[in-house]
Order: sequence, then structure tokens, then C-alpha cells
Amino acid sequence: MSLPSENKMDPVNSFLGRLLLEELTPVVMVLSTPLAEDACQKNGLNFVEMLLPFSLFNKIDVPVRTASDQPYRLQMFKLRLVYASDICQQNYEVDVVTNSTLALALVADTLTSDIQAAEEHLKKVVCDTSENTLPDLLSDPPQLETILNKSVSHLCPSWIQTFNKELIRTLSFSEHETFDHPVACLLVVSSKDEQPVNRFVDLFNTDRLPALLNDGAMDPKILKHYLLLHDNQDGTPENSVAYFHSHQKTSASLSHEIARFLDVDDLNGIRDFMLDLASNHIIPHMEQKIRILNQQVSATRKGFRNQIKNLWWRKGKEEMPEAPNGPTYTFSSTESQIRVLGDYAFMLRDYELALSNFRLLSTDYKLDKAWKHYAGVQKMGSSGQRNATRCGLWWAEMLKARGQYKEAASVYFRISNEVPSLHAAVMLEQASYGYLLSSPPLLRKYGFHLILAGNCYYISEQRQHAIRAYRNTLCVYKGNAWTYITNHVHFNIGRWYAFLGMFDVAIKHMLEVLACSHQSLATQTIFLNDFFRVVQSMGKIFEVYKLQLPVINMASLKVFYEDTRTYASSADGAPSDDNANANALVKKVKEAIKLDLEFKNPLQISISVSGVSLICELSADSGATNFDNSVSETALHEDAEFRKPPSCRDPSDDSSLMLSKFDFVLKGGETKKIQLKVTPRVEGILKIVGVSWTLSDSVVGYRYFEFDTKKNKKGRKGARHSLQRNLNFIVIKGLPKLEGCIHHLPKKTFTGDLRLLMLELRNQSEYSVKSMKMKISHARFLIPGSSADLNLDFPRCLEKRISSASNDVPGNIMEKSRSLLFSFPNDASIQGGTTFMWPLWFHAGLRGSISFYVSVYYEMENSSDMTYRTLRMHYNLEVLPSLDVSFLITPCPSRLQEFLVHMDIMNRTSSETFCLNQLSCVDDRWEISTLPAYVPICPTQTLSAGQALSCFFKLKDCRRTNKERNLSVQGSDVPLGPQGSNKVLIDISRSPLVDFHFHERYHQGKMVQGSPSIVDFILISSILGGSNGFLAFLFSSITSKSPIWWLMDGPRMINHDFATSFCEVSVCVTIRNCSETSASIRLATFDILPAADQISDVFQPSDPSGNQGGWHDASLVDEIKVISDVQASHPRKPSSESISPYVWCGASSTQLKLEPACTAEVPLRICVFTPGTCDLSNYELHWKLQPSEEGLGDDVKRWSSADGLPFGASAASVFQPEDSFGPHERFTPNLEEYVCPILSNDNLASTAFDLKLGNYI
Amino acid sequence: MANTACFIIVSRNDIPIYEAEVGSAPKKEEAAHQHQFILHAALDIVQDLAWTTSAMFLKAVDRFNDLVVSVYVTAGHSRLMLLHDSRNEDGIKSFFQEVHELYVKILLNPLYLPGSRITSSHFDTKVRALARKYL
Repeated sequence: MSLPSENKMDPVNSFLGRLLLEELTPVVMVLSTPLAEDACQKNGLNFVEMLLPFSLFNKIDVPVRTASDQPYRLQMFKLRLVYASDICQQNYEVDVVTNSTLALALVADTLTSDIQAAEEHLKKVVCDTSENTLPDLLSDPPQLETILNKSVSHLCPSWIQTFNKELIRTLSFSEHETFDHPVACLLVVSSKDEQPVNRFVDLFNTDRLPALLNDGAMDPKILKHYLLLHDNQDGTPENSVAYFHSHQKTSASLSHEIARFLDVDDLNGIRDFMLDLASNHIIPHMEQKIRILNQQVSATRKGFRNQIKNLWWRKGKEEMPEAPNGPTYTFSSTESQIRVLGDYAFMLRDYELALSNFRLLSTDYKLDKAWKHYAGVQKMGSSGQRNATRCGLWWAEMLKARGQYKEAASVYFRISNEVPSLHAAVMLEQASYGYLLSSPPLLRKYGFHLILAGNCYYISEQRQHAIRAYRNTLCVYKGNAWTYITNHVHFNIGRWYAFLGMFDVAIKHMLEVLACSHQSLATQTIFLNDFFRVVQSMGKIFEVYKLQLPVINMASLKVFYEDTRTYASSADGAPSDDNANANALVKKVKEAIKLDLEFKNPLQISISVSGVSLICELSADSGATNFDNSVSETALHEDAEFRKPPSCRDPSDDSSLMLSKFDFVLKGGETKKIQLKVTPRVEGILKIVGVSWTLSDSVVGYRYFEFDTKKNKKGRKGARHSLQRNLNFIVIKGLPKLEGCIHHLPKKTFTGDLRLLMLELRNQSEYSVKSMKMKISHARFLIPGSSADLNLDFPRCLEKRISSASNDVPGNIMEKSRSLLFSFPNDASIQGGTTFMWPLWFHAGLRGSISFYVSVYYEMENSSDMTYRTLRMHYNLEVLPSLDVSFLITPCPSRLQEFLVHMDIMNRTSSETFCLNQLSCVDDRWEISTLPAYVPICPTQTLSAGQALSCFFKLKDCRRTNKERNLSVQGSDVPLGPQGSNKVLIDISRSPLVDFHFHERYHQGKMVQGSPSIVDFILISSILGGSNGFLAFLFSSITSKSPIWWLMDGPRMINHDFATSFCEVSVCVTIRNCSETSASIRLATFDILPAADQISDVFQPSDPSGNQGGWHDASLVDEIKVISDVQASHPRKPSSESISPYVWCGASSTQLKLEPACTAEVPLRICVFTPGTCDLSNYELHWKLQPSEEGLGDDVKRWSSADGLPFGASAASVFQPEDSFGPHERFTPNLEEYVCPILSNDNLASTAFDLKLGNYI
Repeated sequence: MANTACFIIVSRNDIPIYEAEVGSAPKKEEAAHQHQFILHAALDIVQDLAWTTSAMFLKAVDRFNDLVVSVYVTAGHSRLMLLHDSRNEDGIKSFFQEVHELYVKILLNPLYLPGSRITSSHFDTKVRALARKYL
């Protein structure tokens, strides 16, 4: 426990010290006559007010001697002058409290009108200051640093201390403490009063005295001081003095007379009077009283004996029910005497004595020890809330004086729970300062309590204070993620500002809460409605920088502009990111710059946004040369300009710019992409600086596109950098611009779709363009047609005409499409305002998503800065699978130059049905035909969804030997439609199909035209019941790569009577040279296979075990796998059988030379000894192709060889027809039966021949 | 189950990364910001208190009228704060411990950026289930 005197702080400097000096001072009760008051009123003051300035003595320097013998000097002293009526008033209330002391249940609603008066007084204190704070409210809210750096006295506004003081004052004159009990009584009578002495007596009439004196709480015998007031204007003071002196002997004590009409002398007179009153009368009186009381108290309480006695006595007393009426302690009770003694001693600064008395007393009163220093005799709880408040205030002040701000704050907070809202507000505000001042500062607590205080202020209708409190919290809550808190603070500040009519500030705060996506729908509605109401009551369009509603996704900013590049649709192209030359950002007059921005509504309620447009600056002049400079200059100015609302910018040239405006409604949570346009009308430099919009027709939001200039310097190639550049444009004179589109281009189509499209180019300027060229990214899909195609009737135009002459296909089409850059005819120019059409052929060659680009280049007729432009078109296309077609070509086992074509078709669509129309073979050296005895594949000739189909065709190589073949395609066709249908065949040799065929081959990397081994097919089909379009499929298939073809042929079945003789069979090997060069060929037969190296270094027998003549398994394992499967299925005799069933006879080796495309026949004979099936495979064919330029090369390695392949002849009674592949076998499940080897090895070719010999019976 | 209970996870940067009203009382519009205020102010107390003990569960650190703030500080100085009006300290402790476990699982998610808002609906469901169980 620390003594008050230990508090080393200078009492004058601390609030507590001043409070002590000012509040705990002797009270002088003033009783005055009306006439005396009148005299004072001449100065506009009442009597107390007149004396007030002189009641404080800073240097009274009076020696005091209290209980101890040692005198000390009192320096600072103050007298409190209070009208007796005031004491009465206050007391009335206190009486009520007192009377219900034991009930403990006094609450605020029992407050009398007097309290309300007190409340009014307090309220006035608050109101007065609130008007003073008004200018503050207009300024910016304080920053956190400034608050933290503020001194204690700055933080706690002086009016709060005033409030505290006033609050304490309203609670004074209670019965249980004597600080406020009058020490002396000043009786004032005017000299104009009749019988002044009688008036004095009348004044101190008990009827008019405060209740304190009457009900015994106070000693009624107090020091009386009589004062006669004389006004010099009413007569000479001498008369009065003389008169007064005549009555002096009746006075109980010395009287003074002062007469004046306030001049300097009068003031001095008052001062002297007060000094005299204090030093000569009151202080000695108190000294005397202290000494008397001290003696009494010592006699009754001090000493061991007394304490014991007292203890017993107290115990008994506590059990006694206390009297319900009247104070417990009267002035004559010991406790009261102690109390008076303590208080008096305290007031005279004899703290030692006071403390000892309080200690003594506190044990009696059973008080909280913590309370004892100053307000120690308060009875918390038993004397009602208001005393508790008062006591709390003292306590808090005390804690503050000792630096325990946090504790003080919690005391304030406790007080705030008990008192009406206005008091609570002040208490809470003080609590918040307490938290702020504590070390370390509890900022969040500070903020919270300020908010609470603000709330209380608002409840008690002190809006200015409420705003002030809330505003001060902004620095605490600024930029924190506790969204509910920030929303609450900003919204309420905004609302309250609006009440005060300060709409601009109100809106500023309300703007903060607009994007409150986390709030409930109801709250969002409230926020928005209030906001709009405030905006409307403001009465003018409000412009807001960075309005939060709707949210703009700056990352979505995309600029579209056209310089030499123009675009057909907005989706094409991206903001320029290439072009090293910054000056290339050129814009034509009257051409729009487009800018994409995303707007998002974060709320659940829909908002309407209108008038969305760009903010642009068009500075006339400053040519392209200083373009770069202007960019850097404007970058410097930008920061300053960013805060300016769009209306501040010069709206001078409305005519020079044309801005598009958009209106739209964003539903809850919706995001919309808006394309904004600006069209300059005069030349100069155009700068797009920002975007502005109107929210709900009431608020204009604007936002400037910001560039991080710091980043620019660091990374010059940063995206931001290019964006900044991209928003500055040089506007030049108007130039022609083509607009274009492709008509009839489907979004989705089936593979193979062939269409005639139309390219439309519009020139909307007045100038004409010329030298147009076009390039298409996917020539496989799109090729330009010719002017002749313009009016064609598709698809009839493609049909084969009887008189169709292939010559009408210009030979240069190939060349043109080969170059992939299409030049429009030289005379093609588009005059201003006209439209130009050009046909395009489209063929969906490949399934999948295709995006292709078409660029049209054109030159200006009147060349200026810009000599050419390009129009870019971009299309996305989805190609769906339709028919899967695969071809398999096998050499016909029984014919040279003939192949079997196996076509598998599968309908891959889910719903479409296809008609097969025609299969054509490109290149006229092939002739395709149906197999004999051809039966329609399926009667309907349609292929429904998911169905598969296999067809077989015969392919004949009817290549002419002469080399001067025409390059133009004249294929052969097979109609696939139902027999007898009169469908006209499509002419595949006409322009689009030929061109697409060419690109298809180009794409597949098989450019070698006329390669003997490649056959290209075109399958024409159409969708059943579909439009008149058709599908064309282009396929290539490899027939064989072997340059030498041979075929062993002979009778398949021979009946022979082996009993008579052996059988002699003639077979014939037909050899054809398919290569481009002549070949020398050697055919060798042998009964036992020779060692491989004897013939060729190249030939390596793969299966040494098979190197035997006779019935052996002629293995071709290394050549193709399929063969081994075939062989496996053949019934063969085991090769262990040593005796060959036949022998070759005749020439064992034949050598011949074959010119290209020539055929030779080599006759061979065998002698067969036993019936059975012979495998005539033990022969070898060696060939050597002669390089055309070298003549007969001696390169041995060019020698190629092949084993004779199994040639079997079976002995059966029925001779098989040569063409053993009838249509009825077409659907044999084991297709491999028909597969003849397609050799992967270039040097090896094969045929198969089985001879079956039956025993003739 | 407590009438009022507001659970919040505050990241080490004092940013709320998860908020849930888990009380059984019907939700009031006013409550949301009031609870935030109380919890936010309580951070001041936690800030001091967290370093005075080695325990993670700090028990009731602050109160406002009849609402009590209980806090659990994780090793990473994330604070699990519960504003409640019940007195069931054991339940609250268990609740905190289990939520801490859930929170650690969230942290283990490589796609979760520590300090960012927890948006996992699974986490939310689990926390509410725990609240029903313990509070």
C-alpha cells in the first residue's frame, strides 16, 4: 500500500493532483440575500462567481499545525464556494440514495428530476465539445503513429476531464464523507438591505439550510462569516461602514464590508478578503477542529485497549439490523468524527494524519483495501451506483497516476456497465485511452472500446462524438482482414456522417463496404440501399476513384487495335505483343480501338451498371517522332493525374473522340466481359487512360489503368510495359480497311466434308485497294477457287460430264496451290464501298479441332504512310469422325499386274447414315473394277451408325509403257450405289478434288508422283437425307514395293496314272519388271538348296534347317509374319521325309534381261514321281536393277534374290478355276487366307503356287 | 451445446483464415461483427499471454460481458479462438485439440498456402461436427 504522500508527482501537473487540489478542498457555504445578489448582477455575475477567481491561492504560505506539534506551511490552497441551495439540491438526491442505502437496489430509473438536471449539465459538457470537434471531423482520420506518439494529455481530451470532474461534482455532498461538507458559512447581506443584522440572522435559518446540517449528518455548529456588501454607487461606504460597525458587537465573528463596482481596487479588495477568509479564519478553524477531534479519537480509539474494545463492539454492532431511516452515522458518532478528522487533515495536506485516520476508519467500514487511499470511505455497493461511479473514477485516476493504465481501463469499463449510455460512452472512451497508453499499447482493445464508446455516444445521440470515436479506430482496423469489423466501422461512420449532412465524407466511408461479398443478403441490401440514399441526398453525381462495385478484373484487360493488321472478328488476335517498334501502334482515324474488360458483381443482389466507357485523351499534334518522349513524360504525370476524376479532365474535344457506352445488369455473382470502343476522329496521339461507369444511375466510378513504373525500369520487356505502350496510339489519316468473312463455313462438320464456301471482302472506306493476296494456314482444308467457280451449282458442278474435257483444268492450278500463297487476279481490286466475293473450296481432311487462319494482304491505291494492310481471319472448326476407311491391297495370286483391294468401312458417327456413292482411283494407270459376279454389298447401299462393311475390288495396273503420261488425273471409278441407279459419278479430275488430293499427298509426305507402288483412292459418299453436300475421302495405299514381279503358273491339278510313268508337268514363271530401270534376272532351280553365299552376299537364309528341297517348310519368317501363319495352317508333310517327290528338269538356270515394264516368261518343267501335293518352292529368283545412269553396275550387292515361294498343286478331282476368289468367299472370317505377302524387304518378292497331284485311279 | 459459439482461426499475421458460427442459437445479423470485435480485441491479451506459458491451450483469456474467449495457440502461432458462453473447459480443450489436428492436415496439403483462407468444405464439416460433439 502506497501512501498518497509518496506520490512524488508534482500535484499541479498531474490530473489527479489537480483534481485533488481542486475537488478535495474545504467548502464554504454561501448564504446571500436577494439584494446582495442584485448588486453582484450588475457585473453580470452572481456572488459566487464573483469570488471564484480569488478562491484559489497558489502561494498562500500559511503555517499550519495540526495534531502533531510540528507546524508546516501550506502553499496551495483553494476554497470552494457553494450556495447553500446547491448543497440542498445535490443533497436531495443523495438523500434518496441514503434512504435506500440498505435496499441496495437503486437504479437509474429512480433518479429524480434533480439528477436529470445533473444529466443535462453533463450532456451540455459533452455537447459543447462535440461542436468543437466538428472541424476535426472534416479532416482525415488520425494515423496510428500520431496516436501512439501523442502525449497523455493530448490523448485524453480536456473535456473528458471536465466531464469527470462534473460527474464527481454531481455526486458530492453525500453524508458519509466530509470532503464536501461546508467548513464555513459565508453570510452575505447587501448594504441596501433593511436591518442587515437581522437579515444575517434570518439567513442562517435552519429552514433554509441544507438537509445535511439538519438531519444530523453534519455538525450544525460551523464557522459563520458575515459579509456586508456595499455598492459604491448607492452611497458612500462610510455610511455603511458606520452603520455596520454599530452593529458589530452583535456579530458572532468578525465581519467585513466590501463595497465596489468592480474596478482594480475592488478586485484587490476581494482578493484580500478571500485571503483573509482563508488564512485567518478557515484554516485556523480547521486546525482547531482537527486538534479537538484528534484528542477525542485518541481517547476513544487509539491504544491497544481501545482497539480490543472496539473489536468487540464492532462485532456486536454488525449483527444489529441497521436503522432503515436516517444515516447510520451522525456527526457525533465516533466514526463520523474520525472521518471528519481524516478529511480535514487531508484537506490541510496533513497526509500522515489523514492516512492514520483512514486506516482506523477502514477497518470499521470493512472496505476494499484497494480503495482506501482516497475514496476509502466510499461504501461500494451499499451507497448506490453513482457513488460507485465516483469511487471508480477516483480509483481509475489513481491507477493512471501510477501508470497502471490497463487496470484503469478495466475500471472504466466496469463503470461503463453501470451508468447511463452517455456516461458509459465517456467511460469507455477513457478505457480505450487507458489501453492505448498501457505499455505495450493494446491497440485492438483500444479500438474495440472506442467502438463501444462510439456506440454509446450514438445511443445517447451524440453523433459527432460517435463519429470521432469510430474514426479514431480506423487506424487500428485499417487494412485488416477482419471484414465484418471494417464493414461495421465504415458503414456506421458513413451513416452518421450522412446524418450530419456531410455526404461526401459519408460516401467516402460507405464506398469501403460496397464489395461485401461475405455479408448476408440482407446486410448487402442494407449497405447498398443506404449508400444510394446518401448519394441521392447529396443531390449530384458523385465521382468515385476505384469504385469497388462492380469489381474490375484488370488482368482481363485486352486491347484490340489494327494497324497494318486488321481483324475480321473481335475474337481474333491479341493485344500486340511483338513489334519491336513502339511507333507501330498506329491507329487510323475512324477506326475503333477495342478493349476487353471483365466486370464482376461480388454481391448476391444484382446491380445495374450503365454508361461504361473509356477515358481517353487525344492530344492533337506531337507527331510520331517524339512519341517515345511523350510516353515517358506522361508516365511522370500520371501519378498526379490518377486521382483526378474524369470530369476534371478537359472535356474539350468531345467531337474528336467517339466513345462507346454500354449498359448492362450484373446479377448476383455474375461476371461479364465488356468490349469498349474508342474511335478517334482527328489525328494525333490517343491515350487510353482508364474506364468510367455509372452504378445504378447515381454514382460514377472511374478507374485508371495503372502501370507499375518501377517494374518498367527493371524489366523492360515486362508485360506491364508493353501494356502501357499499347494504350498509347498514334492516330493517322484514314485508310481503307477491308472487312471480311467466310460464308457458309460450318462450325462442326464430318470428316471428308467437301463444300464450296464464299469469301466476302467489304471495303467500307472510300478508297480502293489492289494487289490482293491471300494465304491460308491449312491448305489441306481450304483452297481458293477460281473466278469460274463463282456461280457454280455445287455439287452438281463436280459431276462427270460426258463431254468433260480434262483440259479445262488449267495446269497452273497445281503450281498456284503449291506455293500456298494465292494471288487474286491482277485486275481484282475492290473499290470503296463495294463487296468482293471469291469462292473457296473446303474439305475437312482430318478429324479434330482445327483452327485456321486466313490472311488477306492488300495494298492501298493512294499510298501514304502505310502502303499495305492485312486482314486476318480466324476460324475454329470441329471436324467429327464420319467414316473410317482402310484399304488393303494384295497382289492377286493368280494374275500379274492385278491386285485385290480390300476396303473396310466403319461408320463412326452415332446417328448419321451414309450412302456410298463411288470409289475412284486417282491416276489413270490404275483401273479399278468390281470383282466379277459382284453382288451388291448390302441391298440398301447405306451404312448406318456404327455399322462396318468390307468390300473387295480388283485393281489393274494398266500403265502405259510410254512415258509421256499426262500429269492430269484421269482416274477410274466404280459406282457403289445400287445397281441400276442413274447416279452420275463425280469427276475426280476436276479442280477441288485434284487440289485436295495434291495437298493430302503433300501432307502425307508422299510427293513422289506416279510412284508405281502407291495407289490413291477417293471414296465419295453422302449423308443419307442430308444436304446436297458429299464427303470425299482421300486415301493412299501401297501395293507393293518390289521392282520385280513374278508369278509361277501352271496346271493346278493333274490326274495322272503313276503306275505307267512319272508325271511331267510344265509350269511357267512370268516375270515382270516394274521398276523404272532395266533389270537382269536369273532364275535358278535346284533340287537341293545351295549354300547361300554361293549366290549372294546379301542373301542370308533365315532358316538353315529349311534349306532342303522337296516338301519342306519354305520359311519366310523374316520376311513377313503373315506368311508363317499361312504356312502353319497348311497341311504339310514333315520335312524329315528325305526323298523329294519331284525333280526339276530342263534348264536349271535361266538368265535374262528385262526392260522396264516388260514381261518375260520362263518355262520350267518338273518330274513328279508320286501323287500328292508338291511345293514348288525350291527355286531362286535373283535380280539386279541397273542404275539408269551407270549402265550395268558390277555392284554385287545389288543382286537380290528370293527363294521360290511355296507353289503347291493338290491332287483333287475338281480342277479349280484360275480365279479362285469368288465373291462368295468374300466374307471368309480368316482374311489372312487371302493375304499375299506384302514384303517389307525391298529386295524380296514372292508369289505362291501350290500344285496338287492326285493319284489317278 | 453452447448457445453462442464463434470459432475462428487467426493466422500468424492476425488475419482470420477460418470463421464459423457454431452456436446453437439462431444466427443474428448483429452478432457477426460483434464476435469479430471481441475476438479481435482478445488478440491483444493472447499476444501477451502466449509467451508466458508452454501450454498451447490458454483457457479463457478474455471476456466481454457474459461471453468468454478461449484460445489455443499452435506452434506456428496460429490461434484457434473460441467465443462462447458455456463453461465447459474440458470440452473446449478437446475441441481445440481435434481442430488442431484437422488444421495440421490442412497444412500438409501441398496446395494449401499457409496463411491463406481455409476453404475446404471437408474441414468445415468436420469442425462443425466437433463443435456439436464437444461444445
